[in-house]
Amino acid sequence: MRDFVVRVAFIGFSAFVGAFFALPMLWLVFAPFDSTPTLAAQIPEFTLENFSDLLSNASALRSLGNSLILVAGVVGVVLLVGAPASYVLSRIKFPGRDVFLYMLLLMSSVITGAAAMVPLFLLTFELGLNDRFPGVILVLAGGMLPASIFILKDFTDTTPRSYEESARVFGATTLQTLRDVVVPVIRPGLAVISVWTAVNVWSNFLIPFILLRSPSKSPAAVLMYSFYTEGGQPNLRLIAAFSLLYTVPILLLYGYVNRKYGFRFHGGLKS
Amino acid sequence: MTGKGTDRRRRSSGGDLVTRGGAATIVAPAAAVVAVFLVFPALWTLYLGLTNRGLTGINAANPQFVGLENYTTALSDPALWNSLQVTFIFVSGSAIVGQAVLGFTLAWVFRNWQSWVRRALELLVVVAWIVPSSVVAFLWVAFLDGESGTLNAILGIETEWLLRHPLLSVIVFNTWRGTAFSMLLFGAALNSLPPSYLETSRLAGASPLQQLFDIILPSIKGYIITNLLLISLWTFNDFSPYLITGGGPAGATEVLPIYIYNESIRFGELGFGSAISAIMLVINLLIALSYLRAGRSRS
Amino acid sequence: MAGIEISEITKIFPGEVTALSELDLSIEDGEFFALLGPSGCGKTTLLRTIAGLEPATSGSLDIGDRDVTSLPPGDRNVAMVFQDYALYPHMTVRDNIAYPLKVQKVGREARYGEAEKAGSSLSLDGLMDRRPGQLSGGQQQRVAVARAVACRPDVFLFDEPLSNLDAQLRLEARGFLKQLQKDLGTTTVYVTHDQGEALALADRMAVMDHGVIRQVGTPTELFHRPANVFVAGFIGSTPMNLIPGVLGDGNVRFDGGVLPLNGRGDTGGEVFYGIRPEYITIGDVGDISGTVAITENLGAQFLVTVDVAGQLIRAVVAEGSEPATGDTATVNPDPDRVLVYDRESGELTPGAGYH
Repeated sequence: MRDFVVRVAFIGFSAFVGAFFALPMLWLVFAPFDSTPTLAAQIPEFTLENFSDLLSNASALRSLGNSLILVAGVVGVVLLVGAPASYVLSRIKFPGRDVFLYMLLLMSSVITGAAAMVPLFLLTFELGLNDRFPGVILVLAGGMLPASIFILKDFTDTTPRSYEESARVFGATTLQTLRDVVVPVIRPGLAVISVWTAVNVWSNFLIPFILLRSPSKSPAAVLMYSFYTEGGQPNLRLIAAFSLLYTVPILLLYGYVNRKYGFRFHGGLKS
Repeated sequence: MTGKGTDRRRRSSGGDLVTRGGAATIVAPAAAVVAVFLVFPALWTLYLGLTNRGLTGINAANPQFVGLENYTTALSDPALWNSLQVTFIFVSGSAIVGQAVLGFTLAWVFRNWQSWVRRALELLVVVAWIVPSSVVAFLWVAFLDGESGTLNAILGIETEWLLRHPLLSVIVFNTWRGTAFSMLLFGAALNSLPPSYLETSRLAGASPLQQLFDIILPSIKGYIITNLLLISLWTFNDFSPYLITGGGPAGATEVLPIYIYNESIRFGELGFGSAISAIMLVINLLIALSYLRAGRSRS
Repeated sequence: MAGIEISEITKIFPGEVTALSELDLSIEDGEFFALLGPSGCGKTTLLRTIAGLEPATSGSLDIGDRDVTSLPPGDRNVAMVFQDYALYPHMTVRDNIAYPLKVQKVGREARYGEAEKAGSSLSLDGLMDRRPGQLSGGQQQRVAVARAVACRPDVFLFDEPLSNLDAQLRLEARGFLKQLQKDLGTTTVYVTHDQGEALALADRMAVMDHGVIRQVGTPTELFHRPANVFVAGFIGSTPMNLIPGVLGDGNVRFDGGVLPLNGRGDTGGEVFYGIRPEYITIGDVGDISGTVAITENLGAQFLVTVDVAGQLIRAVVAEGSEPATGDTATVNPDPDRVLVYDRESGELTPGAGYH
């Protein structure tokens, strides 16, 4: 009898959780393929016209391109500047290094875009980077570098130094050692931080919203917002198709890395 | 020489791929980006908060030092107190009660359950976390719409959720949005528990609830603290209610980030906004430090 | 082919930790040379200094007729097998073995040919396309050795290469390493903390302690005639008995009686009377008698510990002839096998020992 009650409660709970998480998402699944979408999730009158309309919408396509530029920029900065730094920080020890890194990580959680939006806005203005992609890229990179370095350093720590040492005994140059040994060995770490950075930048609304004023520079996150807030009747066909097109790449990317390398919690998060 | 001590000595020696000087050069660009675009803005906002810097006009070109005026103005502004109160309810409701409790419950229920149902549910929860925020915001605007929203269609009513229960709506939204992180973290935590812990207590005849409170929660205390620290900070700094309600109606969902945005960027009071920013940074720091303290006192 | 000449090598790590202190050593061409010592004695640092992974603080190092003191590791023509093997997880066995040749710009065909040969000589046929992660510990160890062999270096450097294997495999690997080195005739420096391994493998060996060499010699010399109490205690599967006593009148007196010396050494002084357990017999007749405290079964032999007036003396006896615990027994050292060490300096007393 008690088992039965537990079982019913269990099924009920699972059903509730499933409904809670699935219902708001249904619209994103159905509406993009519906010739007359409404705000309610409904079985669509199937069409792909929404997408062909979207492909002829210049500002929508441009915004996706803008998002791509931002992602490439921030991932680029994180990899080019952060990865070498984390390698060095893993291999060369100086007093207080770990405390320093932990403080940096803490700081990047404390100093957020929301809390520092005013100085960030003014800083990019003073540097002549307002309404320009490099401004957004550097601000986002500044916020993401500490955690990226922390995760990647953690990863490098677990790869034995004897890998590099043995390459050196064979006479490999620094460049050869990095290219043939170090980079391939830490590649999963690089992939994880790249995807983590990409997902964050692709979705980030606040920083480009504040720092980019020209509508032609808006990334998808900002354009999506203006689609449903800027006066008049929102164009649901456009919004639906755009939402899906904007969402799918990031889901695929996440799924790929998750499948290939698995979701892992690294150092700082483990406590 | 195989001991740990000698290992450490070896590490500090020269003869690495990079020299110490080289190391400094390699770290410098990363340090510069972080210093200029993360650390400096935080320090600068402390100064800006003491000026009457504006977005346009004379106060933009030639801001004056006004001392603590911004702070006294802010502290006597009922809108700030309203915002703080809204933020507090938002954080405790959606992060601590919503995400952490639901996330733990899911991790707990899922822990020994291998079936496609579990994987499907987990996938749903994680997808809600990955989808870009302006998309999920619109999904919820549509879901909660008074006339034709899916929720009302199911319940057979016509409640304007975002007008009648705005704060509750964004709390439920943010729980939906962020539970995945807590679920994954607690899942990892539960996985890290050696099975012998639970087997020992089961042999002693402990009920599932006793196991939970006597064995499991104390053993994963570190994870719980880390989780609460991160999700409180993230929620406290979350701007996405703006995407759903714009902070309204009448300030009902004006969490602190929206308040700062409105005051400084929209109304152009950059000096005043900086003062609020400084307050917010201090609160962030306090949250971080209090959890760190709690984390330390457990050992 | 090349010998190694080390003179006055000193290595001081940051923080004033002296790992090697004015160390001199010469290793002959083609020799299998073991560096033996406890953890932290500096043996791995010495090996890494030979490899060039640790720059020496002072002193000089020659390999063959080249002064390599300031050469980078890659220019020394040495190959090293690391304790953890350092096999690259992203490369196949073939690529791992061929990698050093790739670095030396050997063409693709040639280096794969070499890799195939080296792999074959270490029975790795059929494993060449696997990744290191798919191999057993013993196989990984052989890949690491094959990689070193394929380089055809002047010198092999081994850093405890067997310590990650289980006992059975270790014995096997020991055999093939010895054979391989004999076949190739390449000068080999082998670091280990296992005295049995060093005795079994080495042509000559050095025992190190705190950054200095305590004794150099053949395994036989080190076993039979340890130069000091440190080496005496370190070498041998059961440590040497070192009984504190007073030297005089051609014997050594201690609380339990008079230990025979065959009349050698008549100058007085406080000494250790050193005798290996293998050179003591246990009986019913004799001057020194005590109570049997412990008997341990070593297989074909027994290790018997006898308490003589509070001094524990160990003896190895053949199986079947061991006394029972609690029995009274006499301890009879073979006076020809006795070594006498000065108690203050710990050094072997000149003339006071067999030859």
